[in-house]
Amino acid sequence: MVTPVIELNRIEKEYPGVKPLDKVDFAVRPGEIHALLGENGAGKSTLIRVMGGAIKPNGGSMTYLGKPVSWQSPKQARAAGIHVIHQELALFPELSVAENILIDGQPRNGLGLISSRARHARAAEILSQLGVKISTHAKIDELPLADQQMVEIAKALVGEVRLLVLDEPTAVISGHEVDLLFDNMRRLKREGVGIVYVSHRLEEIFEIADRVTILKDGQVAGTGPVGDLTRDEMITKMVGRRLEQIYPPRRKAPASGPDILKVSNLRAGHRVRDVSISVRPGEVVGIAGMVGSGRTEVAEVIFGTRDLDGGTIEFEGKRLDRRMPREAIRNGLGFLTENRKDEGLFLGLPISANVMAPDLAGITRRGLIDRRGERDIALEQIRNFAVAAPSPEVKVGNLSGGNQQKVLFGRWSRIARKLLILDEPTRGVDIGAKVEIYRIVRSLAEQGVGILMISSELPEIIGLSDRIFVMSQGHVAGEIDGASATEEAIMDLAVRSVDRREGKAARLEQVA
Amino acid sequence: MSAVVAEFRRNRLSLSYVIVVALLILLVVAGGFLSDRFLTWRNFGNLFQQLVVLGMVSLGQTFVVLLGGIDLAVGSLVSASTVFIAHFLEWRPDLLWLALPLALIAATAIGALNGLLTIVLRVHPLIVTLGMSSIIFGGTLMYNKEPGGSVPRGLADFSYAKLWGIPVTAIVLVAVFALAGLWLQRSRSGRSIYFVGGDREAARLNGLPVNRIVVMAYALSGLCAGLAAIFLTARTGVGDPRIGAALTLQSITPVVVGGTILAGGRGGVLGTLLGVLLVTMLNNLLNFLNVSSYYQWVIQGLIIIIAVSIHTTRRRQ
Repeated sequence: MVTPVIELNRIEKEYPGVKPLDKVDFAVRPGEIHALLGENGAGKSTLIRVMGGAIKPNGGSMTYLGKPVSWQSPKQARAAGIHVIHQELALFPELSVAENILIDGQPRNGLGLISSRARHARAAEILSQLGVKISTHAKIDELPLADQQMVEIAKALVGEVRLLVLDEPTAVISGHEVDLLFDNMRRLKREGVGIVYVSHRLEEIFEIADRVTILKDGQVAGTGPVGDLTRDEMITKMVGRRLEQIYPPRRKAPASGPDILKVSNLRAGHRVRDVSISVRPGEVVGIAGMVGSGRTEVAEVIFGTRDLDGGTIEFEGKRLDRRMPREAIRNGLGFLTENRKDEGLFLGLPISANVMAPDLAGITRRGLIDRRGERDIALEQIRNFAVAAPSPEVKVGNLSGGNQQKVLFGRWSRIARKLLILDEPTRGVDIGAKVEIYRIVRSLAEQGVGILMISSELPEIIGLSDRIFVMSQGHVAGEIDGASATEEAIMDLAVRSVDRREGKAARLEQVA
Repeated sequence: MSAVVAEFRRNRLSLSYVIVVALLILLVVAGGFLSDRFLTWRNFGNLFQQLVVLGMVSLGQTFVVLLGGIDLAVGSLVSASTVFIAHFLEWRPDLLWLALPLALIAATAIGALNGLLTIVLRVHPLIVTLGMSSIIFGGTLMYNKEPGGSVPRGLADFSYAKLWGIPVTAIVLVAVFALAGLWLQRSRSGRSIYFVGGDREAARLNGLPVNRIVVMAYALSGLCAGLAAIFLTARTGVGDPRIGAALTLQSITPVVVGGTILAGGRGGVLGTLLGVLLVTMLNNLLNFLNVSSYYQWVIQGLIIIIAVSIHTTRRRQ
């Protein structure tokens, strides 16, 4: 039996009133990719922090490379070879790639000054190990998220790394970016690095992980080789109940009636080149495609937060002229953005204010806001969408990701009487909340609302959509019927290049 | 008034209010022991009269800070307005009805211009208002270097008028605060200030007229500075191009002491009112104890740093 890289024995962590970790056993062998599964709040983050030295456990013991250890600080754990890459990347947006990679150990020249040339050489060397082409001179905030993530991984490779912890790395990337990440994980694995991999996407677990440990309410609900558990068994262990059906049934007959939204030959910036899509009342229309294929930008143009360069947007047969969110909202459109914390919610304000923000007029009586009316509506939405909150006065910043998302549904379902645009509606929420969100989406559609849903998760797109548009490089590469769609068919369209010359370049890139 | 009470009830556990009220009580008790003239009706009458100007300016500052901005032009704007009012009234004392509205309109317009510039030029409000402050100050000095002008009897009387022993100006101030509280909590435009201050991008996405709200908040700050200038001119009887200089910093202190965070989106006018009371009472007591104004400046600086640091630590936890 090989000595595990890290082994946790009966680790406990307790805060007043909550016990995020309750006698947890967990071990990672060298050269193993160990998936850590669990709903939000199951204790994954706490476990990661214990391993990385950010949290001291109240009980239990930990051995690292065969020796008992008790980290005093994250710095100590990092010096010993443990690297944790959090979901929120710890990069300096204004500094260059090289500076970020070598943040802990800037190479110095003979005079003891930081040597810029040595820094770029060293950073380039590490990046080439990872097989990515990123300029070491580029500033972080000029890079797409996927590249930023690679920079974060490159940081871990500067020193000796024995244990790499990745907290939901694929939440912000998609398609071949995920492949590149997985390739690098496999390479590190061959070098004997132990990898802890946290993800909500079960499909990825089956693809990449060797073993899996499932946490439920701070306890280990199951552990073993990935092949020993089926997808359904994993879900059952995670949520503690059987999920007969993740996706609600699709509509029986195809939606009829005139289009509620008709977008023709839309052009905007360099990301949206020629997009024509349509949505009928009561229909869930999915938009699939790689990150960067222009999906989000299309949604932004429709809602009026991004300028349009050409083409037309017709809403209920009428051209949308004044292009601003206020006008869209007045017409019965809602937009649940991809980045709920930066672009959707007022984290410091209570649930009630967040629900009512786009509709203050609706609760104003004789010039004054009707507080009771506001509270009643908020309470009703909290009940409708099963938001776990004791009262409408709770600040939204104190809610979990899944509940924040439900608050947004509570807000927009009232506003979006005609059309609701969803951009990555289940990003960063646990499987239980996902299932609830799927039900909400379908029931809104059943009430006659048209739904336009952007998602990077293909099972979600296929499971929920009546029709699917696949985008590639700013164009609609194809339309697929939801009921007969397969992941292969979507991917085939998503990587297809519309422009020949560009297509060749893109393919070459993939080969290289 | 009911809105202020409602705000208080909702925030009754808010730590900053508890701290400020506790400090106020402490100050009154300590003042009673340290000076036999402090706890008198006469002194409190004076005190209320003193806090009116600072109260008005701080109220305007509260709107802007709630929005996530800051207005460093208020001091100069108050000075300039006193000069305008006093000189206009020296020229035509009979046109009081015209002078005061004109002063208010001009002050409001300059405030609105501040807000507009932050939007159009995308320059940080700190710089826009600091620059505007310098422009106003210089402009006023070009016109008039020394205190001058005069006010008619009626306006001066108003400054010292009392109703049931309470200065009328203080009653007006409390009424304006109550109105502002009601407006912030219960009107669409008032509530929108919290949205824009909480998250400007989210506010835009929720269909709120963000630019209009920004301009409105700065305009209100200008209006409040104009009102403060009326009170000030009435009391001093002259227009003084330097009288408001200290008010800029002084107006921020009660706002942050009262729990409105500089990042915007959280706080309210009741906290500011309590903050004004605290700062004014402290200076009043220090005067009684013959502490030099130099120390008062030092203390003022310490208070603002400590108040902000308390909120930052609390938020980090």
